[in-house]
Amino acid sequence: MAIIVRIPTPLRTLTGGAESVDIEAKNVRDLVEALEANHSGMKERLMDDKGVRRFVNLYVGEEDIRFLDGLDTELKDGDEVSIVPAIAGGR
Amino acid sequence: MGVGGLGCPAALALARAGIGRLVLCDDDIVDITNLHRQVLFDEADVGRDKLDVARSRLLHEGAQEVDLIRSRLLPDVAREMVREVDVVLEGTDNFPSKFLAADACYLERKAIVHGAAVRFVGTALSVAAHAAPCYRCLFEDLLEQGKAPNCTEAGVVGPVVGVVGALMADLALDVLVGDGSRQGVIYSFDGKKIALRPLSVPPRADCMLCGTDSPSPISEIHLGLYLRDHMGCSSPAASVPSQQI
Repeated sequence: MAIIVRIPTPLRTLTGGAESVDIEAKNVRDLVEALEANHSGMKERLMDDKGVRRFVNLYVGEEDIRFLDGLDTELKDGDEVSIVPAIAGGR
Repeated sequence: MGVGGLGCPAALALARAGIGRLVLCDDDIVDITNLHRQVLFDEADVGRDKLDVARSRLLHEGAQEVDLIRSRLLPDVAREMVREVDVVLEGTDNFPSKFLAADACYLERKAIVHGAAVRFVGTALSVAAHAAPCYRCLFEDLLEQGKAPNCTEAGVVGPVVGVVGALMADLALDVLVGDGSRQGVIYSFDGKKIALRPLSVPPRADCMLCGTDSPSPISEIHLGLYLRDHMGCSSPAASVPSQQI
């Protein structure tokens, strides 16, 4: 399943500047693993030992995965996953 | 809260909209590095008190009354700070301040518009008074020490904060006319793609601020809520700055 993942600005250093990447995954959990395999360091930015990091929100389409099936949320071909991190400011 | 990169354009827009009274909160001095994005100040103002300059400019731009709070956003005065206004525009640059502002406004039953920006991206989130969803529905709580994203040296593009500040003012005007249709939506602006994307924030039943099923809901402000994370772009709550972006 080819999924489009929108990469927020703070994480684009891990994707060589790409603002979106295509990933094959059946669910969000697999998607995170695939992101890590292709863009080392991504998983650590998204996940901690309890699951998705508190300062990060993952959306499938317009839906926050916390209100779907979390990391087990299934994905279908053409789905768009957005990573929405908390930001504070810059100087 | 914060007369910086977000606060300046937001205040300017509201002054020109004819808002009767603006209350500005900051404790900083104009610096030359501010000028590319903090549009109320110019080179002649470097070294001057931000609030004094901002007040003068806003009155010139049509504001009817501009009151000043020369203070950082601190836990022991946060609720008092928000008590006398109809809507709070939060343009601080650190996470403890954002959570503190969210908590104070919720407890004082005030609407709040949160703004943030770093590098080429910004967000704006309008939260209804004492309602769900809130800022904590989305970002929950401070992280443990050392685990917050470090944005101290990230920098930010001037026009991006201009867009987000204007959007904050737009959302604040909604509140003032009683239009809640855009509350509970986080708007993300990508300054490279020139794209604005709305995402609805679902209210969380276990949210510690506005949730109905939270095991330990926040019922008062206390220092400990904001002390956990003081690395990167945040600060110890004892000196939480109400600072600019």
